[in-house]
Amino acid sequence: MKAYWRYISGRIVLLIVTVFISITVVFFVPRLVPGDPLNSIMIELSRAGSNRGASELIEEYRHMFGMDRSVWEQDISFIRELLRGNLGYSIANFPSQVSDLIRVSLPWTIGLLTITTIVSWIIGSVIGAVAGWKGSRSKVIQALVPIALILYATPYYILAIILIFLFAFTWRIFPLSGAYSLTSTPSFTLSFILDVIRHGTLPALSIILVSLGWWFLSMRSLITSLKGEDYILNAEAMGLKERRILWGYAFRNALLPQVTGLAISLGHIVSGAIITEVLFAYPGLGWLIFNSITRFDFPTIQGGVLLIIISVAVANFVIDISYPLVDPRIRYEPVGVG
Amino acid sequence: MTIAADQTSYQETYQASREFIRQLRRNSKLVIGLVIFLTLVIIPLIAGLFVDPTLRSTGSFPPRMPPNAEAPLGTDALGRSVFIQMTEAVPNSLQVGLIAAALGTMIGAIVGFSSGYFGGVVDTIFRVLIDVFLSVPSLLFLILIASLVKGVGVQTMALIIGLFAWSWPARQVRAQVLSLKERNFVEIARLSGMSGLEIVFRELLPHMIPWLSANFVNAFISAILSEAGLSILGLGPQTQMTLGMMIYWSTINTSSLLQNLWWWWMTPVITLMLFFLSLYLIHLGLDEISNPRMRATA
Repeated sequence: MKAYWRYISGRIVLLIVTVFISITVVFFVPRLVPGDPLNSIMIELSRAGSNRGASELIEEYRHMFGMDRSVWEQDISFIRELLRGNLGYSIANFPSQVSDLIRVSLPWTIGLLTITTIVSWIIGSVIGAVAGWKGSRSKVIQALVPIALILYATPYYILAIILIFLFAFTWRIFPLSGAYSLTSTPSFTLSFILDVIRHGTLPALSIILVSLGWWFLSMRSLITSLKGEDYILNAEAMGLKERRILWGYAFRNALLPQVTGLAISLGHIVSGAIITEVLFAYPGLGWLIFNSITRFDFPTIQGGVLLIIISVAVANFVIDISYPLVDPRIRYEPVGVG
Repeated sequence: MTIAADQTSYQETYQASREFIRQLRRNSKLVIGLVIFLTLVIIPLIAGLFVDPTLRSTGSFPPRMPPNAEAPLGTDALGRSVFIQMTEAVPNSLQVGLIAAALGTMIGAIVGFSSGYFGGVVDTIFRVLIDVFLSVPSLLFLILIASLVKGVGVQTMALIIGLFAWSWPARQVRAQVLSLKERNFVEIARLSGMSGLEIVFRELLPHMIPWLSANFVNAFISAILSEAGLSILGLGPQTQMTLGMMIYWSTINTSSLLQNLWWWWMTPVITLMLFFLSLYLIHLGLDEISNPRMRATA
């Protein structure tokens, strides 16, 4: 047990270092961008036709966002406010706070990715188990392996482009972009929910199909490697039905590594599918960060990126400390990887 | 005496190469992967030598032409031949992959070797660094940095991607060195007075070559993937052609989709997919060679 506590304290140190490095990088990198966020506001103002008093406004903004102070002062106040949970105001959408923008976009990302991850995990694992069990006995199942390989090798955004082409242009079954029709307002009515599902189908499909390949391949190889185990042979010798041996014995033993894989994917959900969100103009966290980058909106970039990195780091931490409890065969090292 | 020595070394090389060819024959994944990959690489490279440079500019062909004898893969909305674009895009994408993978594997190998071989404080620091880089989603940092250096070229892009590609090879090399270090031949080398660097290069490195090459292929795949991803977001080399930039230009404002110019966007998309598939097969094939336990199930 002592070794376990040493392992945990090492993991805690790692978590803190990760978060600290990320905060530093996230603060400094956007400030090296050769572009002034306030200039882009000025351009937008003049485009709207109200140039009068713009320079006074810019000065006021500069003061308000603390840009007239030194970078170090900004850094310290950034970290201080961060500890209080204050992410500051967005520059591009000024009156709104960064935390509010994130609160609006986060549910879309989490909803889309939780559903797609779980659905593809279930389908992939079940088909993969059957494929691993049947092995070379079925030609149909043999043909699934190269298909899964191709799906796994396809980057998810490439699949997204193909799906947009087929379903949104050629056959016009699903809408092109967005998470709901512009004419409807978000509410808990049946028609709105159906609208959301219709808009979410294509982004979801692109993610499901790609991750399906991976779950299929890993489950298949797990079951294949379990087939020669003594307890499977024993079950066969006892004359159990084949279906019972597959689902009751082989599948259950293959579940532990597969569930770990699911846990890791769920932990990385927030980092999600940035490019998918951009391609489909899906109003999640990735879309928010992408738009903030093109508009030099420092506070929003920092808030969004930090949220993703910290949640991934925390998820890794939770998986790392719980895995030895689930599987006692794991050998732990004080710090770092094995 | 020297002749005899030459004879044996010649015979050894001969036998080693025959063994390699025999493995290649049995290893259908590696062969199929190599064939697809080389076809994809060689055709644009050779065709590129014969392309008249004046035909590269916009308006050299009638716009929106479907594939025909003049432009085998059709033309885009600005009157450029898609095939001629490919002769520029494929070498550029390969360049990104090569530079980034070489950089990532090299840094990874150096970090992994020093971490595993020297141990102690070096190991502790490197291990924490490796873990930090492994747990941070690198696409986010790539997006941040690519938007920072607006107007990147192909090489800059490759450098940025490579700097984020070392953590995985480092982790694997470290684990491998740790297990090799305990073997007898390393102990014997140390007792016979070899220095640390000599042991690393002459005793450990040869054992790592199959590992490193599998890692290199892996890094190559993900570098091309990162380039395409960044370019599709509009953060790629705006003045040069890469596979990612071809997809970007053809899907910007969804122009090629709206006008049903399927040959424009489909060419880079299918090429990318075939690249991934062939490189993945090569990776699996190399894995089988370096890890004999996998051969049985393959």
